[in-house]
Amino acid sequence: MPYTVDNRPPDLREQMYFPEILQGLKLAARHFFKNLFFARDPNPDFIERDRSLNWVATLQYPEEKVVYPPGYRGLHRLVPREDGKARCVACYMCATACPAQCIYIEAGEYADDPVEKYPVKFVIDEMRCIVCGFCVEACPKDAIRMDSGEHAPPSYERAAQIWDEKRLLRGPPVSYQADPWLRRGSPSIPPEKLEEMRARAKPFPTVATDEASQTPGFSVRALAQEAKERTGQ
Amino acid sequence: MIIALVGLAVALIALGAGGYLAAGGLAYAFGNAYLQGKWWGMPPSYGAAIANVVVLLLVVVMVSASLLSVAERKWSALIQDRIGANRILVGGNPLGGIPYLIADAVKMLTKERFQPDQATKFLFNLAPVLAFAPIFALFAIIPVGQPLDLGQIFAVQGPVARVSIALQLANPDAGLLYLFAISSLAVYGTSLAGWASNNKLALLGGVRAASQMISYEVSLGLSLVGTMLAYRTLRLEEMVVAQGYSSLGAIPNLGILLQPVGFLIFFASAFAETKRAPFDLPEGESEIVGYFIEYSGMQFGLMFLAEFVEIAILSGVITAVFLGGWHPIFFEETLKLRLTPLAFAAVGAGAFLGKMVVLMWAQLLVRWVLPRFRYDQIQGLCWKILLPGALVNIFVTAAAVLLDPSLRLLAIIGVVELIAIFTITAAVGRAPATAHGHGHDAAHGAHGADAHGHAPATAGH
Repeated sequence: MPYTVDNRPPDLREQMYFPEILQGLKLAARHFFKNLFFARDPNPDFIERDRSLNWVATLQYPEEKVVYPPGYRGLHRLVPREDGKARCVACYMCATACPAQCIYIEAGEYADDPVEKYPVKFVIDEMRCIVCGFCVEACPKDAIRMDSGEHAPPSYERAAQIWDEKRLLRGPPVSYQADPWLRRGSPSIPPEKLEEMRARAKPFPTVATDEASQTPGFSVRALAQEAKERTGQ
Repeated sequence: MIIALVGLAVALIALGAGGYLAAGGLAYAFGNAYLQGKWWGMPPSYGAAIANVVVLLLVVVMVSASLLSVAERKWSALIQDRIGANRILVGGNPLGGIPYLIADAVKMLTKERFQPDQATKFLFNLAPVLAFAPIFALFAIIPVGQPLDLGQIFAVQGPVARVSIALQLANPDAGLLYLFAISSLAVYGTSLAGWASNNKLALLGGVRAASQMISYEVSLGLSLVGTMLAYRTLRLEEMVVAQGYSSLGAIPNLGILLQPVGFLIFFASAFAETKRAPFDLPEGESEIVGYFIEYSGMQFGLMFLAEFVEIAILSGVITAVFLGGWHPIFFEETLKLRLTPLAFAAVGAGAFLGKMVVLMWAQLLVRWVLPRFRYDQIQGLCWKILLPGALVNIFVTAAAVLLDPSLRLLAIIGVVELIAIFTITAAVGRAPATAHGHGHDAAHGAHGADAHGHAPATAGH
């Protein structure tokens, strides 16, 4: 918040110094007593905190966590299908797009799935990751997302920061009507389960960067619309 | 929180009563032994002195000093809109940060005691003791409670009943002179610590500490001369008694009323003697200067604790000399009539300790409000403002006492001075309105609190 500093010479009272000390003590004492006598509002969304009585702005981090804003790029996850397998088809586009070269993929073959290809190994070195989100942009199958809303959790060993496909595969499953295993059926999925998955499937987004394929709540189109309205064009 | 304050008051009064009971009990035991010719004929006052050492020095001073080290963290946090130390949990409860006391003590005691190779060994080890001991000894002359006869504490008969018990370790005739003499010894500790460390930066800190303390001792001594003149005594206990009388209607002759200028000068000088911000030049953290930088473990702990002990002592001296000591001030006559002598004395001791607590709080408040001075400003403040002010104060006081020995004139002068100070402070100037408003918004208004909700909206101004 920019504000201008008043650089005029001190007036007589300020030159006397002592009255200004008393003013300062008054201000500090007011903060002290307000914060002492009134309870802190522990709302983790500290911007929304009621600070009319208690002025404490502290967030007690491990106990109270800030809710991350929509569009926040958190820890990666491999998006699962409803049957528990990864949506990933091991096309290597994310690994190719990654500027930090932190994604390592080994492809394998399904015997009984229309997708045929899947990652036997999918390893992300979270210490090397620069959290640019290019992998999410690059993915044609919406198989990798950064919508977990988590910070990289701390660890004592470097090895713990290398996430493999078992740790990455988590979160709510996603299906699209255009998915091959829904259109053509899959021998590995029981028919009634397949029907359930078809019923829940979403239409595939026409724009790759829209909210359906991206972090929930984040939409380039919506942002562009907002910017348009703001500038009045 | 109101309950906590009432609890604090009750605890302080109970502490006072406990002090009287302990002193009286030991004095009674010693007196009986004296009458029977046992215990090498030690008089009963020795018993009272032993109890007072335990209660006043070990309980009041040490406990308040160590609690102050926690309070410094918590209170500064409250002043700065933070929460403060609360990570040590006892049964899931931070207990206001008080467990940090134990953690600190364990840390200080178990750390390695490191000694520079080229240090002057003897002086290096002596310095922390010299820094701590004189300050600790200062509390000996602080009159925490009024004198009582032993017969008023316990229902005893005979010559033992007339033994006088006071919550005061010693009452020498020299009084305030003892205070000046012992407090000036503390400078040896700091300057020796700086010199014996054989470190340029430590030496710089020691020299800074020495010059600052020697300068401020002058105004420290002169600022109390006015009270000596007004109360015609050097003994702190007699000063407190004299503050119970009044010369201006019902208002008692408090030191702060008769000597507001002396009070301010004494407060500033004594603050400089404690070497805490804004007078913390001897320990410049950014320029690694500090007389104790080569110390570690409990040797550093002693110097660290000495600061907090100094705060407690300074509060005690100000309470005794300027704030009426153990006079409860409000409802004093009623209390005196209704309560037994012991209960009244305990309430008085509680009032003394309560005033001490308020003053300690005020010192921490000052420490967290004012930025530190530049070195030349420190010396300029002492020699150009405080010293002439103290001298003028002495002459004015002496003239007023000479003209009107009933102290009425002095009291009127003091009241006029106080009114002048507060009028100038309260007068609305051009500066505080804008400057204060900006600081306010930047500090805590930007997050949509009700009272300051306009801040984000007008972010562009």
